[in-house]
Amino acid sequence: MGSVRMTQVTALVLRAVAAGHRYGFDVMEACALPSGTVYPALRRLERAGLLRSGWERAAEAHAEGRPRRRTYALTTPGRQALPEAETKLAEVRRLLADLPSTSAREA
Amino acid sequence: MLARLWVWLVSALVPRRDREEWVEEWLAELSATGAGMKHAWGAVPDAWTLRTDGWTMDGMLRDVRAALRGLARRPFFTALAGITLAIGIGANTAIYSVVDAVLLNPLPYPESDRIVSANHTAPGLNLPIVPHSEAMYMSYLDGFHTLESFAVFDEDNINLVTDGDPQRIDAARVTQEFFDVMDVHPMLGRAFTEGEDRPGSEPVAILGYGLWQQSFGGDPGVVGRVVEMDGVQRRVVGVMPKGFAFPGDEVELWTPMVIDASNPDLGSLSYLGVGRLAPGQTIAAAQAEMQQLLYRFADANPDELPRSVLEQAGLAPDVKPLKELYVSDLKQALWVLLGTVGFVLLIACANVANLFLVRAEARQREQALRSALGASRADLVRQYLAESVTLSLGGGLLGLGLAALGVRGLVAMAPVAVPRLSEIGIDGSVLAFTAVISVAAGLLFGLFPVFGYARKDLSGALKEGGRATTSGRERHRARSALVVAQVALALVLLVGSGLMARSFAALRHVDPGFAADDRLTFRLTLPEAEYPDAAGPRVFYRQLADRMGAIPGVREVALTTAVPLEKDYKNASPMEAEDKPTPEGDLAQLVNVRNVSPGYFDAMGIQLEEGRDLTWDDAGDGVRSVVVNETLARTFWPGESALGRRVRGQGSERPSWEIVGVARDVHFERLDRDPEPLIYMPLVTGGADGPRGVRAFAVVLHVGAEPLDFVPAAREALREVGPRLPMVDPRTVVKVQHDAMASTSFTVLLLGIAAVIALVLGTVGIYGVISYVVSRRTQEIGVRMALGAPAGLVLREVVGQGMVLAGIGVAIGLVGAWGVSRVLASLLYGVSTTDPLTYAGMALALTLVAMLASWIPARRAASVDPTEALRAE
Repeated sequence: MGSVRMTQVTALVLRAVAAGHRYGFDVMEACALPSGTVYPALRRLERAGLLRSGWERAAEAHAEGRPRRRTYALTTPGRQALPEAETKLAEVRRLLADLPSTSAREA
Repeated sequence: MLARLWVWLVSALVPRRDREEWVEEWLAELSATGAGMKHAWGAVPDAWTLRTDGWTMDGMLRDVRAALRGLARRPFFTALAGITLAIGIGANTAIYSVVDAVLLNPLPYPESDRIVSANHTAPGLNLPIVPHSEAMYMSYLDGFHTLESFAVFDEDNINLVTDGDPQRIDAARVTQEFFDVMDVHPMLGRAFTEGEDRPGSEPVAILGYGLWQQSFGGDPGVVGRVVEMDGVQRRVVGVMPKGFAFPGDEVELWTPMVIDASNPDLGSLSYLGVGRLAPGQTIAAAQAEMQQLLYRFADANPDELPRSVLEQAGLAPDVKPLKELYVSDLKQALWVLLGTVGFVLLIACANVANLFLVRAEARQREQALRSALGASRADLVRQYLAESVTLSLGGGLLGLGLAALGVRGLVAMAPVAVPRLSEIGIDGSVLAFTAVISVAAGLLFGLFPVFGYARKDLSGALKEGGRATTSGRERHRARSALVVAQVALALVLLVGSGLMARSFAALRHVDPGFAADDRLTFRLTLPEAEYPDAAGPRVFYRQLADRMGAIPGVREVALTTAVPLEKDYKNASPMEAEDKPTPEGDLAQLVNVRNVSPGYFDAMGIQLEEGRDLTWDDAGDGVRSVVVNETLARTFWPGESALGRRVRGQGSERPSWEIVGVARDVHFERLDRDPEPLIYMPLVTGGADGPRGVRAFAVVLHVGAEPLDFVPAAREALREVGPRLPMVDPRTVVKVQHDAMASTSFTVLLLGIAAVIALVLGTVGIYGVISYVVSRRTQEIGVRMALGAPAGLVLREVVGQGMVLAGIGVAIGLVGAWGVSRVLASLLYGVSTTDPLTYAGMALALTLVAMLASWIPARRAASVDPTEALRAE
């Protein structure tokens, strides 16, 4: 059970799962990040014990005519790590506010 | 469709245990969202993340933690392995720290790789180093362009008189550019200025930091003070920074070398030279330039140094990095030692590998389970290595501590002349070395069981016992191989140290030719200022000898320039027989010179074969008598008596001396070589500028009892005749003799320790293997004994197994020892590298020890209760 280095990506992914996105591709869409970025983050978070993975109920999935999907949820340590994620995201917001947009530079 | 194919393809990267679920996950996502290749690319990084799971920092930390837990669960195993490794690694660290400081580290001066020693060598005379004369120095000084600065120096002792007792200080006289060569300048005051090296200028001195602190209280006002040194009032002009000590650690004072530039001394080659290479210049260039300077000097001084003598002696410049000047003696011994402790480490690793093999077997089931649950081969290997490297790093840490202590002891015991002593310690490169060999050792013994084990099909191990399986046999072979290796290595070490020990014993039995027991000696130096010319010393010698002789219990007194076997004393001159002069252009025989007082031969117990001893009158004007040793008599007048013949320095204008006595040969320089020609001259001899008395000499007192008890009385007597003379280095002549053998005895000691450690480890190894084999075969042994096999037979069989292993190891070891002994050849005396006694003796000893190590577990086996054994699993 190590802790994970909180990067912008892991912060976003954590936030997304906290917000209720259970499935891998959902998180991908919610974060607007490619699967190649999101899945390694999911694995790291799970290894660090901040996420728990499972499978949705097979019966429900089959009823909808599709195979069961893997689900991700926050664990207790994961919930405790949320403030740290928020701090990281706040940093990003600040950076965006400070960075001048292209038009401002050309002006 | 393509995406699904892609996922299936990439799944090959995923570790087997996760593969099925991984495929399920990805295919489900693709189905549910209808996503295509665009999103399926991400499967690759995902698969890769899972694959390298173990190899991340996190993963490895996990392995280390698991390793620590595993080690903690078996404290006995961990302690045994850890201590074994600590000893092996610690020994290596200790020797390496010496090698590092003495051989590898650059000298502690700025850009020290540009500082060179610039002297000559004369292989034709068997003289590895030939220093400069004053005249040579002056001639070279202007000529050197490849050196931006050039200086010569001379070591000296100075009697320093401050408020307390007179002290003897090690000092150095240096020429003008000395501090430029070293590029270290006084931190207080200044260096010597132009003109302070001329005769008649005010005498000055520069203090070392330590001396300044101790004898002057660190007073910054010391600059400008006048202090009496050797009877001369010298003004202190500077203080050197802390840590500067050249040419040796003990030098605490520097004075300018005063040279009369109009008439520099030609004859006395006494001053070692150092220089700093000019930017862009190389050693080769400096050496070539010096060759030219040498020729130029020879051509300008054809009487002193004719070209023919130059060629005959092979006199040539010898420019090399300064560091090499210090270390040439010790180099070989150090590398031998490093090799030795390397062996010890290998033996230690073999022991620990054996321990790990045992452990591996015990954890068979656990490993099989893990494997079945999905741990790949790579995972298992990684976990093994985590454990072994963690253990060996731990052992390395402990070893580092042992080394830190050991080095202190090593350095304290070391033969006096270990250069750069103060620089030896645990520094960055020593730490790095320890880390590297710890990890290497860990990998070595960690991989050993892995290769024999993780490879095999483990399903068999899950079943009951799994004893007589193929893998069990293979493991047994591995353990046996390890034990054989240990025994072989141990034998090599034993033979090596045995040969050295015999050398040492042979040296101790060499008859030195004089009597060393019950004799006290100490040195004195008469400052020129207080005992000018020859008259002063002459009177003093007599007074001293008489006063010392008056001490109750003193039988005989003698003065001599050097006690036999005194370390680092060499004084030789070319001399010839007056009636057989050396042909023009040839170099005469080099003869060693000692100046002695009358009564020397009695005092030292040296037999006079012919003629008589010197008398006090022999040092008078007009009378010139000497005594020579047998070798000189034989060399100059083979088959004839030397009595009455005359000798002189080379050249008909030299004064000649009459031989009045021939003394028995004495080992005055080395115990392991035949003595060279030696001449005993009186204390007062005639130089070109009139009679001169020796100023630095040793006093020998032959006493009736414990010599050291006489030191206080001798000090008292000395205070009466020479109140301002410090008594230097009082010790017994026996100690002088022992010091002469110090470096041999030191090497013997260390090799002996290493050999003993190797023996102990090897024994433990054999014991371990046999013990284990016996324990595995308890059931079988029980059955056999129940069926009537006599205990004696079982005993013999088990011991026999051990002996076979030992026998193979000894055979290999004998071959190895023969190879290694050639390295030692130059260090040996009186014993050949293939000395059968040593080889046979050590082989026998090791075999007996192996027998004992096998016998103990065998006895246990034979005494086992058959019914118990049958019940055992």
